[in-house]
Amino acid sequence: MPEITGYAFPNDIHVHWSLMIVMYPYITGFVAGAFIVSALFHVFGREEFRPVARLAMATSLCFMAVATLPLNLHLGHPERSWLVMVTPNLSSAMAGFGMLYSTYLVILVLEVWFVWRQEIIQYARQSRGWKRAFYATLALGTYDTSPEAIAIDHRAATILAAIGLPGACMLHGYVGFIFGAIKANPWWSSPLMPVIFLLSAAVSGIALLSILYQVVAKLNRRAIEGRTVAALARWLWFFLILTMTLELLEIIMLAYEKSESWHIISQLLTTRLEFSFITMQMVVGGLIPLILLGVVVLMDRYLHDRVRNSLCVASAFLLLLQVFSMRWNIVIGGQLLSKSFRGLRSPYSPEIFDREGILVAIGLLIGPFLLLWIFNRILPIFGDDAHAPAHHGDSTKAPAAEVAAG
Amino acid sequence: MEHARHVFRVALVLLVVIAAVFLGRGFLVPRSYGTFGPYRADNVAEQMKARPPAHAGAASCTPCHKAKAEARAAGSHKSVSCEVCHAPLLRHVADGKVTGSMPIDKSFTLCARCHRRIQGRPEKFPQVVLEQHVTSKLEGAVCLECHDPHSPKL
Amino acid sequence: MDHPHSPPTPGPSAPPAADAADPGRRDFLGAALTLAGGAAVLLAGAEAAASTEAHVPPPGGDAYNWEEHRWAYVIDTSKCIGCGSCVRGCKAENDVPDGFVRTWVERYIAGPGGSYVDSPKGGLDGFPPVPTAFTPTKAFFVPKMCNHCKETPCVQVCPVGASYRTKDGVVMVDGKSCIGCGYCVQACPYGSRFLNPQTHTAEKCTWCYHRITKGLKPACVEVCPTGTRAFGDMLREDDPVRQTIDHERVSILQAHLLTEPQCFYLHLDMEVR
Repeated sequence: MPEITGYAFPNDIHVHWSLMIVMYPYITGFVAGAFIVSALFHVFGREEFRPVARLAMATSLCFMAVATLPLNLHLGHPERSWLVMVTPNLSSAMAGFGMLYSTYLVILVLEVWFVWRQEIIQYARQSRGWKRAFYATLALGTYDTSPEAIAIDHRAATILAAIGLPGACMLHGYVGFIFGAIKANPWWSSPLMPVIFLLSAAVSGIALLSILYQVVAKLNRRAIEGRTVAALARWLWFFLILTMTLELLEIIMLAYEKSESWHIISQLLTTRLEFSFITMQMVVGGLIPLILLGVVVLMDRYLHDRVRNSLCVASAFLLLLQVFSMRWNIVIGGQLLSKSFRGLRSPYSPEIFDREGILVAIGLLIGPFLLLWIFNRILPIFGDDAHAPAHHGDSTKAPAAEVAAG
Repeated sequence: MEHARHVFRVALVLLVVIAAVFLGRGFLVPRSYGTFGPYRADNVAEQMKARPPAHAGAASCTPCHKAKAEARAAGSHKSVSCEVCHAPLLRHVADGKVTGSMPIDKSFTLCARCHRRIQGRPEKFPQVVLEQHVTSKLEGAVCLECHDPHSPKL
Repeated sequence: MDHPHSPPTPGPSAPPAADAADPGRRDFLGAALTLAGGAAVLLAGAEAAASTEAHVPPPGGDAYNWEEHRWAYVIDTSKCIGCGSCVRGCKAENDVPDGFVRTWVERYIAGPGGSYVDSPKGGLDGFPPVPTAFTPTKAFFVPKMCNHCKETPCVQVCPVGASYRTKDGVVMVDGKSCIGCGYCVQACPYGSRFLNPQTHTAEKCTWCYHRITKGLKPACVEVCPTGTRAFGDMLREDDPVRQTIDHERVSILQAHLLTEPQCFYLHLDMEVR
């Protein structure tokens, strides 16, 4: 192979898709992943996820609320972003954002409404003044708390969760398609891209909830259910194995086929992305959590509760870093290689105070947790566990009694 | 179905919102959108009128600069448009009236752009190693000491 | 015997006489019907508007009819001297911002021991002599610009329809609709597009649409001193560009991507991507 001296097309020297475009799939990954956890209870009836189901749903909603911000902050003309809804070019995956986001938002809001409806009615009855007006509006003026109505609520929540699951998957999968369908960029162009993104989203969502569940439980002085932690760890390990397999498979295929692009991609991975790919994504974020979670899952019965919980939190934290690195490596990495295939651009480092900078990114990560806190103040997440909808529309419980006790 | 009243309520709210969105969309779609395809058709005419053409071609210089034009046409720069070394006509003339003097860079860097010997130029093209070609110091308008830019071959 | 006023069989569902106590359903049906009616009116209006499409004249009025032209471009790389006049001419003609180019020239220096490619500022100030680590045996220049592909990857991915291809074969960006997302910049395999740092919209070579619709040539063709660049009309039988494309051995860039570019090259080399 002749020696290559770096050459990039003159217009290729700018990294247009910045940190914000790394944040966007990271955030929608949480949206999708959290919803998957919630659906594991609401759709698939896994009882061990009951304690975390409402928290997962609320988390999904709070991250949804900020999901459009990184995109709008990145656009050259955010004031025209409504054109994506009004004149969408249907051949563009990015245009799908408008429909997918709105549809999934509606499904999620509806599901939250059905799941929390009893509390809304309860607060509407108990409070006074503007609070009462607020809850009354939320309740849409119906105060039906009969067992039949509750059964309908449960069924509606189940149906919405079942529809919402592909909705959440598409909301994140289409992001993978945005990258995967670009034949101009060999690091992105791959049919595996939407699948990797989605599995990675599941990893990030479950990891986030693993940490959030334990933190919130500690803050509320509730017991941490060992079963829940173990189940989260199991599913996290499962999705991690799938994700890493596919990520590695992509590299192995490229290296084996030695197509035109492998020469420059291997340079990219070993020079510009050495830290973020090899160190963070594969070793620190991949191999180590793989081992730690393997211990948690395979040696579950020998582990003391505290050890299991700590290992889980540690792995989950590393995985949050891994998923971020993966997004970074794909978004930024793909732009570091020039379409000339003869050179790499200089490394990209985001500004601190820029509109698309580090402080804004940190704000985008903190924001949803603030929203979650506000959400909890309006609609308590750990209200009464008996209210969490039982699977199969089991209405033999007497929720009316629990309403008084809540 | 009495107990499903709240379901109908929320479905109604949803339908109202969807209807409002579609109605709103009808007002927001640009007028000429979709005429020829999924784009704003008015833009084609806008692009045609986007700016007045800045370059006008060598023939546009002849009416006022006959002598130089004839010298150029007879010399080895006959395929080099005036606007290559000078500037587009619009910098100098607009609406038939002179608006400013025509810029010219008389330094050797302008000539060097075409005639300095570098890898890549066809062999038959006249190019020199400037440091060897110029006997005095390579600075300023040194090329013009020997060459007439409008008919440069000696 | 049927009694019209006999009470219906009691059952779990609410009796019809109790409709007044079930306003939810009635409201819903009423609203649904109103909305359906409104939607029907809207659609009818849209139909009426769309049916006038057949009578819409081509843009440009009488002076220019885009149906009569299919523009194409030919570049003979054996003639290019790398002077960069095209890059400067384009910049002057189109107010191209600093740091970006709508057309550019690349220099390739190759030998058995390696290859070297450069394009300092896109060739704006010409090319300096450059030493290479290997012994070069061939060198040449390749001018490039937007290829105005028939199967554009860029138009395909624009989310708002700001990027489009005209009937005469020119791909352009509607600066008023562009939201500056940069997807088209990522999708172009040739690196022709960029985001203008002042207007924050996507921009690229337009084959000087404001010139060619007036019978002029693009600025780059106008100023090229060696006849490297040629612009022509594929619908005119005697057009020299059409003759070249029809009869000479031409190549296109990145043919494997099947974008069907309309910039055709003569004497390209395997080093060129």
